[in-house]
Amino acid sequence: MIGAVIPAAGKSKRMGQPKLLIEIDGRALLARVIEALFDGGVGRIVVVCPPESAPESAPLATIANESGCELVIPREHPLDMRASIELGLGRLGRSIAPDHVVVGPGDSPATTAPLIASLLERASRNPRGIVIPSVGGRRGHPIVMPWAIARELAGLGANLGLNALVRGHSDLVELVEVADRRIVLDLDTPEDLAAWRGGAGGLVSYRVRLFAGARELAGKGHLEIELAPGSTVADLRRALGLSEPRLGMLVARAMIAVDEDYAADDQALPASARLALIPPVSGGTTETPTRSRGVGS
Amino acid sequence: MIEITRSAIDTGVILEQLNSRAAGAVCLFLGTVREMTAGRRTIALEYEAYPEMAERKLAELEVEARARWPILEVVIVHRVGRLELGEASVAVGVNSPHRADAFEACRWLIDTLKQTVPIWKKEEWADGTEEWIHPGKPDSKPGA
Repeated sequence: MIGAVIPAAGKSKRMGQPKLLIEIDGRALLARVIEALFDGGVGRIVVVCPPESAPESAPLATIANESGCELVIPREHPLDMRASIELGLGRLGRSIAPDHVVVGPGDSPATTAPLIASLLERASRNPRGIVIPSVGGRRGHPIVMPWAIARELAGLGANLGLNALVRGHSDLVELVEVADRRIVLDLDTPEDLAAWRGGAGGLVSYRVRLFAGARELAGKGHLEIELAPGSTVADLRRALGLSEPRLGMLVARAMIAVDEDYAADDQALPASARLALIPPVSGGTTETPTRSRGVGS
Repeated sequence: MIEITRSAIDTGVILEQLNSRAAGAVCLFLGTVREMTAGRRTIALEYEAYPEMAERKLAELEVEARARWPILEVVIVHRVGRLELGEASVAVGVNSPHRADAFEACRWLIDTLKQTVPIWKKEEWADGTEEWIHPGKPDSKPGA
């Protein structure tokens, strides 16, 4: 059996409003995360709520209750996220302890059922491992760990948290590379929220200019492309090929310009980037312009 | 001076800009529209630029050339639009105290320009077909 802890007791200071009540696509973030965990294969979820004195406590508890979660409502605000997770783990362990626990910050809007399912599938094949989703090696949320390791959180020194726990078992970490770059995002500030909501469902819209043969093949001077935040030049290249198949092999051979400069495939795209597809230029391959290099003064 | 223009290139103006008492050499290269390419006859060429980026790349080339050779002035003018046979599509002018530097810098500038600056040409062939020149062909046909 798989358990999960959602720490929902934070004060959302930087956001200025209770994060987990923020609605994305018409549903509170907490409800979305709970549904993703259950649909992805989690059997029990403990939601750690703020104390009853906090105005957001009741609506969060209602969502958790109606979704079939277990609740912890502490008398005071837990000191930090680690304290919240400890409270949740304590509750999970009071009945039959789970084999694995899913823990994450709870405010990651990219937590989806397929993501959870793929993490749990990996954990079932590597039951001693700590399974973490990653994008290009960068770690995201949430983490799946064996119950035995999760339990050690209570024994860690003050000021240490989940990251320290994982560091202590770095030999057991298994990264699961996923395509959705949004797994590394949190919703901490109004700007994060605006970025997430910008475009369709958190996607960023780009206008990519086309020139010469590319313009004629596509029949227009630009393409509108939507990409997840944090996407790279390589992602854009793939998206261009899918969005306009008439470009054919020219997409693979063309360079991509970001803000009027040639960009490498691993370069990330800023949200406001000026983008263009640059087909090979006419003198690009037949000349040997480097022959007089180094002859100067 | 860097310029992308739809007007005919005026070599008189360019040579005037390259006139200097400190110079012992002026080198002016013109790229012109050729009629025969590998046995095929050209009627005209059409040039297209990504103007903002092309100007930026040309300015970068000037900076790099100045770092490599002791040159006094650099003038690069590239024409866009439809050009008839014999017309100049690009001019690269350099002056320097001695001719070797002017020759080398001019040669390097035109070669590197053709490799890195986002300006493309379309052949209008005598047989009625048209073709954007993107080296590495064949490709770019739908479904190819």
